[in-house]
Amino acid sequence: MKKILLSVFILLAASLITNAQTYKTRDGNIYFNPNKNQGNKEYSALSKEATAIFKVETMEVALLVPMKTFHFNNALLEEHFNENYLHTNKFPNATYKGKLIGFDKAMLAKDGEYKFTSEGKVELHGVTQPFKGAVTMTVKGGTATFNCVFNIKAADYNIEIPALVQSKLAEATPINATITFKLN
Amino acid sequence: MKKLLLLFTAGIISFCAMAQDDLLGELKMEDSAQVKQNLTIATFKSARIVNMNSTEMTGAGNLQFMVIHHFGEIWNEKEGVNNAARLLGLNGNFASTYISFDYSPVHYMNLGVAFAGNSNIEGTLKLKLLRQQTGLHNYPLSIVWLSNMHFNAAKSVAAPNGLNWNKFSYLHQLLIARKFSEKFSLELIPSLIHNNIISYGFGNKHDIFSLGIGGRYKLTNKTALTFEYARQLNMYENIIDKSGEIVNYSPNLFSLGYDWDTGGHIFQFFISNSSNASNLFQLSTNPVKNKLGQFSLGFNLNRSYSVKHTVKTAH
Repeated sequence: MKKILLSVFILLAASLITNAQTYKTRDGNIYFNPNKNQGNKEYSALSKEATAIFKVETMEVALLVPMKTFHFNNALLEEHFNENYLHTNKFPNATYKGKLIGFDKAMLAKDGEYKFTSEGKVELHGVTQPFKGAVTMTVKGGTATFNCVFNIKAADYNIEIPALVQSKLAEATPINATITFKLN
Repeated sequence: MKKLLLLFTAGIISFCAMAQDDLLGELKMEDSAQVKQNLTIATFKSARIVNMNSTEMTGAGNLQFMVIHHFGEIWNEKEGVNNAARLLGLNGNFASTYISFDYSPVHYMNLGVAFAGNSNIEGTLKLKLLRQQTGLHNYPLSIVWLSNMHFNAAKSVAAPNGLNWNKFSYLHQLLIARKFSEKFSLELIPSLIHNNIISYGFGNKHDIFSLGIGGRYKLTNKTALTFEYARQLNMYENIIDKSGEIVNYSPNLFSLGYDWDTGGHIFQFFISNSSNASNLFQLSTNPVKNKLGQFSLGFNLNRSYSVKHTVKTAH
């Protein structure tokens, strides 16, 4: 009887510890340039307002970026992005939820650059797609910075792009996500 | 007792599982994940509803180039059957063109220079005072201040040589707009026009007031119907001009338009009872046109160029 009681308490304590090792941040940058010629920054967009959560014990991560926080170099394109392509009034957020594969919590204790992969699901424009990508984590002075560069195809997310515009755009848009967590 | 404990344990485990499953839900609950400022964008397609100014401004670091063209009158009664060759005024003898360049050094301000034809030059200042938004602040309206300085560089009797204060006129407007839905926007435009010189005559005044309303109804993502109406409140009847003759103007400005966003350019095709290039004179000295045949067709064309890139790299 006592043993059972004890095990319940241990379980309870364990769950509390799990909660304690959850990091949250508002310091997320998402950048993309849909142009075929990556040197041309006319269509580049950046959001500095992505938020993320990272649960060390379970190696789970979740990321959310409000679509209207993307700002473009070209004002008209920003309007088209919101109104015509991503319908941001209807689908206000893009999200990612996944696991880190090959991550070890010992990595957080020592400064350095670590590589592993992340697997999960991206939701964009109301469409959910499986995702797998390489992640670089840089631990330095009490912060862990995750960087992931991956490609997104508009067609996979039901984003219609007119043929006239399509010819100027890359087949898949490289997306650069940088998320920094404070480790204390 | 044992059963109860088992249930309790199972409860805790399931709770943990649930908490893990809903990591994204947890993030959405976070205060930092809430959108602080949900700005209303694209109340109108362009900086003009048709002839009247809209609350739209070009984005920071962008240069907006615009051409406004009014063709000749649609059907000239004196021309009779010759109107066929005049192609509803497209091939007529009178047309006006307005070419403007507006730059946005910061997101809340546009500075512009425009050429209104016949040696008329304008400078424009547009200031965003309030942006319609939800979130932390809930503002139901967008409000923009517009000031326009008009300089008539042509030689005239009143001001024969070079730079002279008599050659200046001013237009001040408050643009008050609301985007009621994805499709429907409405704008109210009170205007004040000041002419530095007025022809001598009983009752002639420097200041002219006007009240306008304009709207847009979106048909598709790329097309919309627009309308505008402005009513001049004073100085349109029995004006005595320089040669001592009595002139009457129409107090009404009326236009219907069709917006077409091609992706890179915005075209606005319209029919209007005013064919003056400058909005200042459209609102103050609009010739009386009682018949549809005296209306004119026209178009606005605009394009934005990102001159200064605000987004450079990933970080």
